[in-house]
Amino acid sequence: MRTPQVTDPPGLDSVIEVGGLRQAYGDFEAVRGVSFDVPRGELFALLGTNGAGKTTTVEVLEGFRAPTDGSVRVLGLDPVRQRRTLRPRVGIMLQEGGFLGDLTVAETVGLWEGLSRDTGRTAASARTFSLPGRRRGTDPGTMDALEAAGLARKARTRVRQLSGGQRRRLDLALAVISRPEVLFLDEPTTGMDPEARRATWKVIEDLRAGGTTVLLTTHYLEEAERLANRLAIMHEGRIHLQGTVEEVVAGSGDRISFRLPGISWTFGELPPLDGVSPVLTYGGDTGDTGVAYTLTGARAAARAHAAVRLLLDWADARGETLERLAVRRGTLEDVFLRVAGEASPAGDAGDDGTDRRAGGGPVAAGPARRGE
Amino acid sequence: MRTDVLHAIRLARIDLTLVSRNTTVLFNVLLLPLLMAWLYTQAVGAEKIDGVAGRLFVLAGLPGVLLVFAVFVNLVNSFTARREELVLKRLRASQPSGPAILGGGALGALVLYLAQVALLAVWMRRAEGVTPANVPMLVTVAVLGVALFCLLAAAFSGLTPNAELAQVTVLPVLLLVLVGAPIAFPADTLPGVLGHVAALLPATPIVEIARTAFLGGDHISGGGEALSTGGQWVAALPSFAILLAWIAVAGLLARWLFRWEPRHG
Repeated sequence: MRTPQVTDPPGLDSVIEVGGLRQAYGDFEAVRGVSFDVPRGELFALLGTNGAGKTTTVEVLEGFRAPTDGSVRVLGLDPVRQRRTLRPRVGIMLQEGGFLGDLTVAETVGLWEGLSRDTGRTAASARTFSLPGRRRGTDPGTMDALEAAGLARKARTRVRQLSGGQRRRLDLALAVISRPEVLFLDEPTTGMDPEARRATWKVIEDLRAGGTTVLLTTHYLEEAERLANRLAIMHEGRIHLQGTVEEVVAGSGDRISFRLPGISWTFGELPPLDGVSPVLTYGGDTGDTGVAYTLTGARAAARAHAAVRLLLDWADARGETLERLAVRRGTLEDVFLRVAGEASPAGDAGDDGTDRRAGGGPVAAGPARRGE
Repeated sequence: MRTDVLHAIRLARIDLTLVSRNTTVLFNVLLLPLLMAWLYTQAVGAEKIDGVAGRLFVLAGLPGVLLVFAVFVNLVNSFTARREELVLKRLRASQPSGPAILGGGALGALVLYLAQVALLAVWMRRAEGVTPANVPMLVTVAVLGVALFCLLAAAFSGLTPNAELAQVTVLPVLLLVLVGAPIAFPADTLPGVLGHVAALLPATPIVEIARTAFLGGDHISGGGEALSTGGQWVAALPSFAILLAWIAVAGLLARWLFRWEPRHG
């Protein structure tokens, strides 16, 4: 029996609809009222720190658990109650999932292909991935999927002998083998080398270009910036920001930064610029201990211009040179770190080019003191 | 429904491929039970039980014990290991439904079990000159027996934290069957309450029905007198009722205890 053709409910604009989703495990609420929609053919990325609630949100959408509260629809269907109808139309790449280690790569792909065929889905072909040609020997469809995953040479290798990155690529091949209408990718490139990561991005871009709707979770901001039509930044179970990359970044304003000349100044001497206090940065824009001002709101560029003039005057008056002075537009990373930092008790996001606010917040510049 | 069956067949084939690549599992499910069968036959010697040679009495009832090895122990191990390694989660994330995934495991186990019973039948034919009197009844009890022990395995895997501890979790059922099931003696020969308890154990109806199906006599109410094919079915009805009741109980236990994913924290 082939899976009956399912017609989307009339007027279905959003392929994925999440409204007021809450998910609790005992007393702990992992997701606290999350809402977003994903239209057909869009790639929507969920960003967030570890424990932000991304995977829980995705697993509710995948039908692994019923929501504690709120509504969730995928292709207009309830992922838990209508799993049987929905599952053939959905591809899932779990953040972590086991394999039958004693099967070869080709046998594993062959099994998944067979399971898809039994459900009435056409297995993925070379065309799905914009790949040329087929090889002889192994089943053509299996070969296509293996080539797409960059594992054609590993066809006869037992899965337990694959590296972590190769397993992720096999994972992706299995997720897309049924040509899903909706694809859930939970941290798809974790553990991959840069080359494999870019190859995976290409596969995802091809799938999106083919009309597949994709929900992606990732730690890699570059991945989200490159792939996502829209994104949401989650922290501690809530969505703090969502929109296109441009919309999200627009709120981050302009950033003025320079290396902290520790010999003659102290941080406390620095003046506020346009009402904004400086923050210390480590290894980021300046590659060293530095200072940054982030100017947000209306007319940020004009205000940055005036602020730089003020800063230079201030430095000239003291006979100092501001090393590696730069003005640049805020990035997704700035926004991400601000969201993560705002909720952290110390406002302290680490030592890898991130802001560290003394005393848990912006440091007001005190009276000028020299030579300390 | 048809999709579930196709998925179950596909998963069962993969299970059998994996079993063929694992010599430990092959030994446990094929050779170990036959070794035990041989030991049982040596224990009873030449005495007559229920009107048949003791050796024949034991061999004809062995399908009830074989189930514990081929299905129960094998599946508790398999379900637990695959849950902890997140294989079950991955399968659930793909096309097959939950019943199809469990059904695939049961189907693979059924094939292994039928292979064991076939080996037993060949043994009985060669050594004792006996062929099964009621093959449909033998197949029916095999299918129901596999269903029962598959459900029990699903329930017990839910109680088993990891694959290493599976050897411990299966022990109570293993001992209960090896000691309590009427392999080397009729259940009604046990004194008082013990006899009633033995009659209600999950493997007992399977042993008694298999013995009746193999030998054609009444080995359920005892005595072993020859029965027609219809008479064998009628005689086996109470045992089938107990078996079906156990399947219902095991189904509830499996629903309650089985887990698709490891416990967190």
